[in-house]
Amino acid sequence: KVSVEVLDHLEHLALVDFRDSEGVERLQKAIQFADQLHEVNTDGVEPMDSVLEDRCLYLREDDVTEGNCTKELLENAREKVEEYFVAPPGNIPLPKLEERETF
Amino acid sequence: VLNRRCVEAAVMTGLALNCSINKKSLFDRKHYFYADLPAGYQITQQRVPIAVNGSLSYSLCIDKKMSQMVTKTVRIKQIQLEQDSGKSLHDDTRSQTLVDLNRAGVGLMEVVMEPDMCCGEEAAAAVRELQLILQTLGSSQAVMAEGQLRVDANVSVHHAGEPYGVRTEVKNINSIRFLAKAVDYEIQRQIEELENGGTILNETRAFDSKLGCTVPMRDKEGEQDYRFMPEPNLPPLILYDAKSLPANMNHQQVINIDWIHERLPDLPSVKREKLVEQYGILPEHSFTLLNEDGLAEFFESVVNQTQMKPKKVIGWILNDLLSYLNQHSLTVKESPVSSFLLADLLNLLEKKEISSTAAKRVLAELWKGEGKTPLEIVKEQKLELLQDQKELEQICQAVIDGQENE
Repeated sequence: KVSVEVLDHLEHLALVDFRDSEGVERLQKAIQFADQLHEVNTDGVEPMDSVLEDRCLYLREDDVTEGNCTKELLENAREKVEEYFVAPPGNIPLPKLEERETF
Repeated sequence: VLNRRCVEAAVMTGLALNCSINKKSLFDRKHYFYADLPAGYQITQQRVPIAVNGSLSYSLCIDKKMSQMVTKTVRIKQIQLEQDSGKSLHDDTRSQTLVDLNRAGVGLMEVVMEPDMCCGEEAAAAVRELQLILQTLGSSQAVMAEGQLRVDANVSVHHAGEPYGVRTEVKNINSIRFLAKAVDYEIQRQIEELENGGTILNETRAFDSKLGCTVPMRDKEGEQDYRFMPEPNLPPLILYDAKSLPANMNHQQVINIDWIHERLPDLPSVKREKLVEQYGILPEHSFTLLNEDGLAEFFESVVNQTQMKPKKVIGWILNDLLSYLNQHSLTVKESPVSSFLLADLLNLLEKKEISSTAAKRVLAELWKGEGKTPLEIVKEQKLELLQDQKELEQICQAVIDGQENE
């Protein structure tokens, strides 16, 4: 089972909200499902990073092929100041464990 | 998609720093949340970077007069390719952060050094040499003020014989001079903290150049868990050498380490040796020549246009030319006195047509950049040395006679 400290750590890391016991239950079932991987014997087998591991990384030439689309990109922004995106000041930390309403 | 030039630059830099180049290197994702990282992760090479285990040699002056230099080495742990994030401007008055994403995704080369340096002066000298190397290779123009070269300093203190202490990371260092200050301040701060019975937190601090101190940085609470995972969209980066060159691959897709190695330009250390050997100047002189952009070329140009020996020319370059340029904050390229004019002047001196005192006066006149030649100035100010023995005798006699009358 997953401890409250681990849940809190996970919520801080991934900014996921497990909200209630049903969410936590789902998390635990997901971990159990993934644990089945341990049943496979992987002695002496190199871990695979990606299905592309036998390919070579494509190298792109140092040529400019696109750009100058400031206007379109800034359309995504709710707030802008002189071509800068506006964001809240720094990272606003999640409230600490003791102050939380969830679980 | 990876840019070929980035890989070439990383290989060149790795070779210049005596690293082993990994023929197969991998990419990973480093996850963290910040306004200037839109994807929520940065692609980097944490597990298997492109180059490892190198070294960087640099020199320090033992005393202020620059007459004795000592060579030191710092080990290079690795060089890795990664993506840049955007740039954040903090607006504390309006409680907001302005984000510029123009540089997000641009390729970066991170050079990681081992903790072999012991003070601000060593750090500054090492970074200066790295800067010169990068500029010579063309990997980067490495101008710190423009963010082309960024330095984060990791500082810790410990008593001799004991394990290394907790380290702090100092960011926001914008020049080599500030690097030395930041490192020395942090060392002092940590020593004082420990001597007062405190502990050092493994934190990130920012260097405040106005106050000359380091302060804890906002938002960097404790240790981060970056959840490194392999980057699924980028296969391994494969590099080749002369032996392993594949036969039928597209030429543009192949990077041959040996080919790059053969075409490496002379590194600063090699250039200095050549200057010392060719011109008989002192090692310290070669350092100053390479330290100023264009000065070495200026010196060689003057030497080629004058009969004066290089050992004498160097004095004029380093004492007269350079000090004037520094006083007026001019670069060598902006010098009102060209190598041609200086060579012309030194020739007059060498042929004993003027004295060295006169030469300095002519030089002062030349700085005004009024377009006159040295010879014109000499004639104007009547600075020619008298060659006629009889005329000299007459003058001396007149002076002696004048004395007798008093």
